Amino acid sequence: MLFNSLTFVVFFAVVVTAYWSIRSWNARKNLLVVASYVFYGAWNPPFAALLFSTTAMDFWLGRRIAKAKGQRSRRAWLVGSVCMNLSMLGFFKYGNFLLQNFQWLLARIGIIYQPPHLDILLPVGISFYTFHSLSYTLDIYRDVLKPTKSLRDFILAVSFFPQLVAGPIVRAGDFLPQLVRPPALRAGQFFWGLLLMTLGLFEKIVLADTMLSGSADRIFGYAGPLVALDSWLGVMAFAGQIFFDFAGYSTCAIGAALCLGFHLKDNFRFPYAAIGFSDFWRRWHISLSTFLRDYLYIPLGGNQVRPVRGATNLVIVMFLGGLWHGAAWTFVVWGLLHGSYLVVERVIRGLFENKEWASNLATRLFAGFATYAAVCIAWVFFRASDFTVAARMLRGMFGGHPHGDAILTTREMLQIALVTAGMILVHWSLRDSNIETAVMRLPPWIVTAAWALMACAIILTQGNSNAFIYFQF
Amino acid sequence: MPSSTSNFKRILRLPRLFFSKPPEIERVHGGPPFEYERPIPQVPWRGITVVVVLIVIAAVSAWEFCCRSIGYGPTLNDNEDLWTMARQRVKPESVVIIGDSRAWYDLDLDELEKGFGKRPVQLAMGGSCAYPVLADLANDENFHGTIICSIVPRLFVAPPGTLPMERTEKTVRRSHTQTPAQRVSQYLAMPLEERVAFLKQEELTLDDLLKRLPIPNRPHAQVPPRLPPYFGTLDRERRARMIEECARPGSELARMIQQIWIPLFTPPPPPTYIPKEEFEKKMGQAIEQRFHDIAEAVQKLRARGGKIVFVRFPYGGGLKDLEDRETPRAGIWDRVIKDTGAPGIYYEYYPELKGFDCPEWSHLSAGDSVEFSKRLVPHLRKALQL
Repeated sequence: MLFNSLTFVVFFAVVVTAYWSIRSWNARKNLLVVASYVFYGAWNPPFAALLFSTTAMDFWLGRRIAKAKGQRSRRAWLVGSVCMNLSMLGFFKYGNFLLQNFQWLLARIGIIYQPPHLDILLPVGISFYTFHSLSYTLDIYRDVLKPTKSLRDFILAVSFFPQLVAGPIVRAGDFLPQLVRPPALRAGQFFWGLLLMTLGLFEKIVLADTMLSGSADRIFGYAGPLVALDSWLGVMAFAGQIFFDFAGYSTCAIGAALCLGFHLKDNFRFPYAAIGFSDFWRRWHISLSTFLRDYLYIPLGGNQVRPVRGATNLVIVMFLGGLWHGAAWTFVVWGLLHGSYLVVERVIRGLFENKEWASNLATRLFAGFATYAAVCIAWVFFRASDFTVAARMLRGMFGGHPHGDAILTTREMLQIALVTAGMILVHWSLRDSNIETAVMRLPPWIVTAAWALMACAIILTQGNSNAFIYFQF
Repeated sequence: MPSSTSNFKRILRLPRLFFSKPPEIERVHGGPPFEYERPIPQVPWRGITVVVVLIVIAAVSAWEFCCRSIGYGPTLNDNEDLWTMARQRVKPESVVIIGDSRAWYDLDLDELEKGFGKRPVQLAMGGSCAYPVLADLANDENFHGTIICSIVPRLFVAPPGTLPMERTEKTVRRSHTQTPAQRVSQYLAMPLEERVAFLKQEELTLDDLLKRLPIPNRPHAQVPPRLPPYFGTLDRERRARMIEECARPGSELARMIQQIWIPLFTPPPPPTYIPKEEFEKKMGQAIEQRFHDIAEAVQKLRARGGKIVFVRFPYGGGLKDLEDRETPRAGIWDRVIKDTGAPGIYYEYYPELKGFDCPEWSHLSAGDSVEFSKRLVPHLRKALQL
């Protein structure tokens, strides 16, 4: 069920009312488990069984890891968990992709092989809940978490409906401790949760779907050459769309969790005000970047290795990060581009970090602008359906089609310009702060007006239940 | 990726100004205690919430009043889920109406029910190509009923990738992939849409209001053609009825819609990035392929005992001049009838179907649609050999 649907409005109202009406903490947790499975099953009921089976397996494997005597045995159980989770992800998400590439590879050496097309339906949110579940066994193996005795609590930690299908990736170690005793709502927590949900929906329905997605779709779907202005505006529209879409979902998830008394960490922290790419990844999809950092980058040696090895590690991590987003080479190129950005940044930092001019305002602004531009270039591969489209877009962006078509209407151009300018302004003004501080500093009438305006805009837009982009991952 | 973990920790700890550390007793699950609590801004929340609710109620009421005062009334939105509900009502022997908005407005389900002895299912869609629905029914092994298919030539042979095709394909796909949540949302939305006038997607949404802003464009900007404003209502059976204001002879609304049809039915210029000859060749191939696909679908349907009749519904005024010039009967219509071998009813050749007036040139008024359907039924029965 989508956050931006009437079904969710009714579902959430019923769950919240029942949740706070029940006294027993155990009964409340049971309710949340049932609600989470209803939420997930509302897409495709059989996939709820898949969700349950991986959760139950990881619960059992977690206990085996904790009970295992020697390091070798612990590792064997962990490998079991990793293989189980990743093979499931591999089958559902990468099955056809792997077959197609295998076929291509065989064709290169002259073997004609026609693989059967697997009619695999991708379970929604599989990339997210696989990581929720996997974090549990990984943390037990790393000795930073002891296994929970309650299967019900673990099921809830993996399937908690606000974050189940599109993140943030909430680690079991962050969620299980919140299930120990009933949460006490702090003053204003419920209303703040509602305001965050309104903000998230506003970002998704009004800013992403209404103001930007149409232009981005038109530019990326146009089969002819485009002039530089339209190409750049199309990419900027997508840069804004994907931020508002995904950050909107995360904000809704955080708000919904708050209404139920749970605390989820930020998943975005004003990423388009990033100065450099390491800064960008501290601000964009934080739950994924920290996951990859802790469970992949650091075990590979992190930055405690020789520079060349460190750079290779970065590229490997970003390659896999790209592949996580989708079974297509365009996503891989997107990941590799970010990997190379990080390597180049590391070199530049090494050369100029101690220079005085490196930290002055003009340099920081230039670096911020360059970061945004480079991130936009990488988005081309993320959004393009194939490399032909990506190449056409890049040619357009760099002046390769001076006599190309200019298809955007003035209204679309204004919408992209205004929303992008507003977004970047807000990101820069809050880059070292957070939204909570901003709300506290604003006069209450502005908070009231902004909340009412967002709610009215959502109602006026009506929404047509467009799926969130990250559902496909 | 972070360049160092210490940096990361420092950044993650920034909001701890607001944190409260949980007591040791909470370390039941082992591992580090959960230290994270989101900061909650301390503002007068109750007052703010009450004022927000009041503002939203006032704004929504004002907007509803405004929409009604300029002629809008409550109606269901013709979306994919409403269509899917209708598609699910199709039984093996159903009478099914497919095609474009003329089949929607011009056919009265009560009259057809009287004529056929069973209530037809309305699967026509405004501004759409009928082929994907025809193919879907032809591929449905259970279906061996009767299809009444409206033909507006430009829509009927719309090639893949065009709006009329994409709309129908998307809708048919939804009927196969609809989730329980989408079904529930539709059931929840219908009572609201039946009572609230401003819940009119494709017209009164923020996006549509922004599109109406009179902002001049660059010379070659691709401005999507304007669609006609609200002129009909839709019920749960997807029966469309023209509103009184539009049906009134010489009404301002009808005149405005007439002027909208002309650019909408005028073939767009070929894209600039393909040579004209190549484009025309491609279009020709796509249309040929469509004729072939239609014939194949009809054959498949008939092989199971199903029946189909093609109908050309009334249209008039300047739109008739345009359509007859661009897509004369001798072109697409005759070819479809010839290739499929199915019966066809071209309204112009039946005196009792001919004299109807289309107020906005493309559809019949609600009253005329009843009379037209009554007169059409005997022809349908004869064509279908019932």
